Amino acid sequence: MMKNLRRTSQILFLLVFLILFIQTEYKGKDELGLPVRLFLDFDPLIALSSLLATHVVKKIFLLSLVTIALTFFLGRVFCGWVCPLGTLNTVIGYFRMRRPSRNPDDGNHPRMRKYKYYILVFILVAAVFGWNAAGFLDPISITIRSMAIGFNPAINGLVRAFFEFSYVLAVPGISPAMDSLYSILTGTLLAFEQPVFRQMIPIALIFSAILALNFVAPRFWCRYLCPLGALLGFVGYRQLFARVDVDGEKCVSCHMCNRSCQGDATPFPPGQWTSSECLICFNCKDVCPASAVRIHPSMKKTGDGKVDLQRRHIIATGVAAIAAVPLIGLGETGKRHSPDLIRPPGALPEDEFLRTCVKCGECMKVCLTNGLQPAFNQAGLEGLWTPVLVPRLGYCEFYCNLCNQVCPTGAIRSISLEEKQKIRIGLAFFDKNRCIPYALGRNCGVCEEHCPAPGKAITFLIEEGIDRSGKSFELKKPVVNPDLCIGCGICENKCPIVDKPGIRVSSINESRADYQLYL
Amino acid sequence: MADRRTFLKTLAGGAAFLLAPAGKLASNTTATDAGTSFAVVKSKDTAAAVRKSVELLGGMGAFVNKGETVFIKPNISWDKIPDQAATTNPLVVQTIVAMVIEAGAKKVIVADNTCNDARRSYKRSGIQEAAEKAGADVPFMEKRKFVRMDLGGDVLKEWEVYTEAFEADKIINVPVAKHHGLSGVTLSMKNLMGLIGGRRDLLHQKLSESIVDLAFFFKPNLTILDAVRILKAHGPQGSTLGDVERRDTIAASSDLVKIDAFGIDLFGEQFREKGLSGFPHLKMAEKKGLGTSDYRTNGYVGLDLDKT
Ligand code: SF4
Ligand code: SF4
Repeated sequence: MMKNLRRTSQILFLLVFLILFIQTEYKGKDELGLPVRLFLDFDPLIALSSLLATHVVKKIFLLSLVTIALTFFLGRVFCGWVCPLGTLNTVIGYFRMRRPSRNPDDGNHPRMRKYKYYILVFILVAAVFGWNAAGFLDPISITIRSMAIGFNPAINGLVRAFFEFSYVLAVPGISPAMDSLYSILTGTLLAFEQPVFRQMIPIALIFSAILALNFVAPRFWCRYLCPLGALLGFVGYRQLFARVDVDGEKCVSCHMCNRSCQGDATPFPPGQWTSSECLICFNCKDVCPASAVRIHPSMKKTGDGKVDLQRRHIIATGVAAIAAVPLIGLGETGKRHSPDLIRPPGALPEDEFLRTCVKCGECMKVCLTNGLQPAFNQAGLEGLWTPVLVPRLGYCEFYCNLCNQVCPTGAIRSISLEEKQKIRIGLAFFDKNRCIPYALGRNCGVCEEHCPAPGKAITFLIEEGIDRSGKSFELKKPVVNPDLCIGCGICENKCPIVDKPGIRVSSINESRADYQLYL
Repeated sequence: MADRRTFLKTLAGGAAFLLAPAGKLASNTTATDAGTSFAVVKSKDTAAAVRKSVELLGGMGAFVNKGETVFIKPNISWDKIPDQAATTNPLVVQTIVAMVIEAGAKKVIVADNTCNDARRSYKRSGIQEAAEKAGADVPFMEKRKFVRMDLGGDVLKEWEVYTEAFEADKIINVPVAKHHGLSGVTLSMKNLMGLIGGRRDLLHQKLSESIVDLAFFFKPNLTILDAVRILKAHGPQGSTLGDVERRDTIAASSDLVKIDAFGIDLFGEQFREKGLSGFPHLKMAEKKGLGTSDYRTNGYVGLDLDKT
């Protein structure tokens, strides 16, 4: 019974997660109604590492205390009942569990349980020294990022291809019906436009690998690697309300509980149940042929199982983390700001931004124009997968401020639209060797037409031009006014020179950094 | 020099209309409904102005038959609100949709290929809501529905055209009168750019030729110019509300050239120096037989509803 309840909860939370994920898109309102970052708000690893790295207490961190309190009383129910990555792992791991094997402890590797604690130690120590690495390995962050950047574009691409094919086939009766369905789906279940992301394949592959590990052991990630799982295991190992109690008298030593255990918590042999590893999944109780398993509130210690953490390993991990902090900052970008490092409006100054951003990819998912892309080397190793605007792929829409609404940590701080419209994120420069009026002596002016900056950051210098037949005409050469340009990049995006544009935005002159001022 | 003279004449006429006391204007009206080929109506009541202008041309029934599919092309290019006059006034669109449905159309489609994000532009221009309220379909232009076809133009040989516009029985073009940084103004012919896809930004290099080609290819059955508010500077998307001027004027005709010539006059002083030769597309369009830039002489009616 409880097992079914747990399954229902997992499905419901996964659905909520997916709905919130799909809602993380412009749906006709300037304010995104549903709090799409909800799962991250309740994530204590994100809160803790951000707190340690930035020394800033944010109100939003309070929500994660709910998770902490829940775990304190009930153990890792978040992992077993709520976490969307956990649920995906449960589903895939289920197939692994059902594979018959002669080894009674098949798929269980209790000695690997410690690794996730070392990962957690690494993350927290690094955070204390200023490197917030939680985003790379936090399960919620990984899931949102991988879905937004990797899977969502792929799924959209496949479904679209299917519908486009039907459209092209033009089967009377069927194709028009399919096409109406397609129109309804776009912007609702499907993205409004096909999303395109740099690093889609590696990010999707990493996530696929995490899912595939379930074939090595069920819920491999949750049992052996997940730092959030480790944190919750630590918080909840003394819980008193859902203790697994195996009655040694009744036990027939069939190992069924261990083999069905989601968390590798070793309910068998009796007395070895490990509280910090238990996901309260109720499988052991459900599967026990002798009804020897009880799960109930108890003041008594019902299990003595331990994770064999070793002090010297913890210290070594801490030392490694301390050493890693200066090392990851050694890249080229530590010396000089990359011209391509165009951050979304409202981004904190770069140092703080790096310490605060958890690379969840929500801003990239929500970006109206698909212009926000995961950084590769623009921000150094530390800044891998942080958002950068790539104007050739998408520009910053003047009346949009969605990205700061979804940012869970305030790396893109919450700003009003009026404020956003005044923030300079870069500066546009003409390449006179390519810009059509300069290089080819013909009028164009597409950039000027699109520039949204009040007063127009692009204006024309009017000169006399001579056309092929020798007639003179008004040649309008565009110039940028650095006082007005906000770096939104629509000019670069729309420039008709589709390969290397005649105007490019670079990060110089951005408002958030004095050292970046142009003049 | 001939076109300079025509221009001055036109301008004089236009200016007379714009400056003349409205009562006198109304009494100037001699043409019968049937003979009217160009109607200008002023009124604070925008819907009434739209209705009157079409009525003067013989009513919507003169353009739309029962059971037809009508494609209405307003300007929804920008993510701006109606006050900014970068997009067609939603009330104008709504009224036209209603009239087309009253005339018995089977299906009314309102759409545009936008410059800013389509969702935002449809929404913030107010056009989506207004047109849907009146009973139109307001779909986003989806890429697959653009088909490359032969336009037979001088510059535009083959281009991607929005099939639903091409296949509709009738096209009603509903531009808004705006300044344009490159071409001076954007009016009825330029508005047709929203019916094509592909790399249309390339056309800026031969803008006049291109829009005449478009006018020739699409030949909208009716054009209704929205000059409720006109955008006088920083066009075509404008910058601050200071660029906008309220005119409460609607002009209707099936002659795009007349509409564009009238539209230029609307800006008054601004283009006086340039003359018609400053707008080469008019001459090109005339030469192609698309219409005449002399909108004052034959079948012209000007009305000010608020004064009569
Ligand atoms: S980068 Fe600009 S367009 Fe993209 S989400 Fe942020 S505010 Fe919107
Ligand atoms: S980046 Fe380009 S379009 Fe944007 S404000 Fe600057 S000049 Fe204007």
